[in-house]
Amino acid sequence: MPAALHGDVDLTDSSAQSRSRALNQFLASVELKAFKIAQAALRHEDDALDAVQDAMLQLARAYAARPPQEWKPLFYRILENRIRDMQRRRTVRGRVIAWLPFRGEDEEDEADPISQAASPEPQPAKRLELEEAMGALEQALGALPRRQRQAFLLRTLEGMDVAETAAAMGCSEGSVKTHYFRAVQSLRAHLGEFYL
Amino acid sequence: MSPVQEPLTAFERNVRTILEEGVQRIDARTRSRLNQARQAALASAQAPRRAPWRSFVLMPAAGAAAAALLLAFTLWHRQPAGELPVLEATHATAEDVDLLADSEALELVEGGDGSFYEWAAAQGDSGASDS
Repeated sequence: MPAALHGDVDLTDSSAQSRSRALNQFLASVELKAFKIAQAALRHEDDALDAVQDAMLQLARAYAARPPQEWKPLFYRILENRIRDMQRRRTVRGRVIAWLPFRGEDEEDEADPISQAASPEPQPAKRLELEEAMGALEQALGALPRRQRQAFLLRTLEGMDVAETAAAMGCSEGSVKTHYFRAVQSLRAHLGEFYL
Repeated sequence: MSPVQEPLTAFERNVRTILEEGVQRIDARTRSRLNQARQAALASAQAPRRAPWRSFVLMPAAGAAAAALLLAFTLWHRQPAGELPVLEATHATAEDVDLLADSEALELVEGGDGSFYEWAAAQGDSGASDS
């Protein structure tokens, strides 16, 4: 009988070694998209990496024994909680720093002059256009309300269906549809010039 | 049918393409760090963890040890320096034990004629009058 598959993950073998392999496969299949989702929310590469790492650790420690079908919604739920914690902490830190009389410049927020420097290599027009579109999309995604961004990215980038997205977001399927619809409307209003 | 379940519009398809392109462009350093994070997560899942029941077994023993330690500490601190109440108590207890162990003394006390009590009262009176 063929193994039941969930993406690339074999769901039928329950031995510890196979489970570890399945978990490895699963994490490898989501890590890049999860990083982009975290980056869109946090707009900070290191914070996004930390959030994904924490989500991986928590999933592996607490939920590795759960059926692999449950891993994806669980993983994204953990990730979203982590992102929210980081955003709250950042808000609090921002308030505290705002009160400090002699606050230094945050080095992490400073633009890296090397990355800002123009590349000596000639940029093909298509590549430039794509980068502009990416930049505009990242900005528009960052401006979305949290739940809308979450619903949109889980549906569009991760390819989750409505039920999976609802499980990951901890809300009803109706709410997912509403958040998604509003996100699309908002993005269309912001990005019309790049994407229509 | 909701907009989510309808086929993607051209706009949504374009956005998805851009997002996927962004994923493809993630640099090698970030990919490496994600890979390391994944390996660390897998290692933590495989690491042997102490069985939860062991905590419950050790808890009463640890509690008893802590209680004994607390009691010893409290008694040691309540004992004023320079006094020997324990010695006095030991002395009094030794007298009581001697009295109880002495069969003649018991017979004397338990004698039904009451002569012992008369004698004891007389001793008390004479002692008081002497003083």
